[in-house]
Amino acid sequence: MTTKDVIEKIGLRSLSKFEHRDVDGVFVSDMLSDVMAGAKSGNLWVTVQTHKSIVPAANLVDVSAVIITSGKNVPQETIDLANQHNIAILSTDLPSFELVGKLYGLGLVSS
Amino acid sequence: MSECRHRWEMANIQFGFVVFEKCSHCNNLRTYFSLEDTWDEYREGDCQWSIVENAQTFRFDLKCRDCNRLETFEDLMGLLYCTSCQPECEVEVLRKKFEAEKTWILVAFGFLPRAKTNPIPQHKLDILTDYFNQRRDTSRSKVKIVSFNLIGDLLSRCRGEFIHDVGMLSQEPEERKPLL
Ligand SMILES: [Zn+2]
Ligand SMILES: [Zn+2]
Repeated sequence: MTTKDVIEKIGLRSLSKFEHRDVDGVFVSDMLSDVMAGAKSGNLWVTVQTHKSIVPAANLVDVSAVIITSGKNVPQETIDLANQHNIAILSTDLPSFELVGKLYGLGLVSS
Repeated sequence: MSECRHRWEMANIQFGFVVFEKCSHCNNLRTYFSLEDTWDEYREGDCQWSIVENAQTFRFDLKCRDCNRLETFEDLMGLLYCTSCQPECEVEVLRKKFEAEKTWILVAFGFLPRAKTNPIPQHKLDILTDYFNQRRDTSRSKVKIVSFNLIGDLLSRCRGEFIHDVGMLSQEPEERKPLL
């Protein structure tokens, strides 16, 4: 499964410019330190955090995309930084719990 | 043993806080790791220390899963990403140079002020670089971790940002204040 498949199947919005890539598992956390310690390459990272620091954290652990839940407004500087690093920032109005249920339904499991 | 190519994984992970303290008298900065967040103020001679930030972070060591070699990183205060704030900064020069190779520069900080005279040794930074590259698909991009000493005298004007959880527990985090 690729980021393109996930976006189409769940109806996510793409906020940044990026190349699609394979998705491998899901990591749910609102803490950068958790992500740095535990996320794996190719994971989808589900969070409500929107500060631009999510971009270097996502880049460092090589997640396939960051999905911002609950329709939270993402600052332009976060999107600009993501564009610069080819990091996928996706967004949904669903709360994290419901999104994770749908991802699970697609056959994606935790990292 | 020296033949081992080392496959690193995190060990001894400890979640806590990095505390940034500033003195209103001499404007010096001190940082340390604490298991709890604290907002103490105290006097030390002429110095009046107060805490400017408590950022959630974690400590870890790296262990080779093949040969069990352990490298400790208790001196690592955090990783900072360059915001291209000063064109003459050596980190910015490196950042531009490596951008073409899809290699992304991160700056490792030790705890201040000790790190200014006792920086994290280069071989440890190389291990950290290896570790984060082993964790990623390096055909797409790589990371390279360099020492904060490269910033040199420009440090006091650096507007780079740490990958730390600053104010992340509040619903709408306010603008971060510069920590350096
Ligand atoms: Zn080894
Ligand atoms: Zn002082």
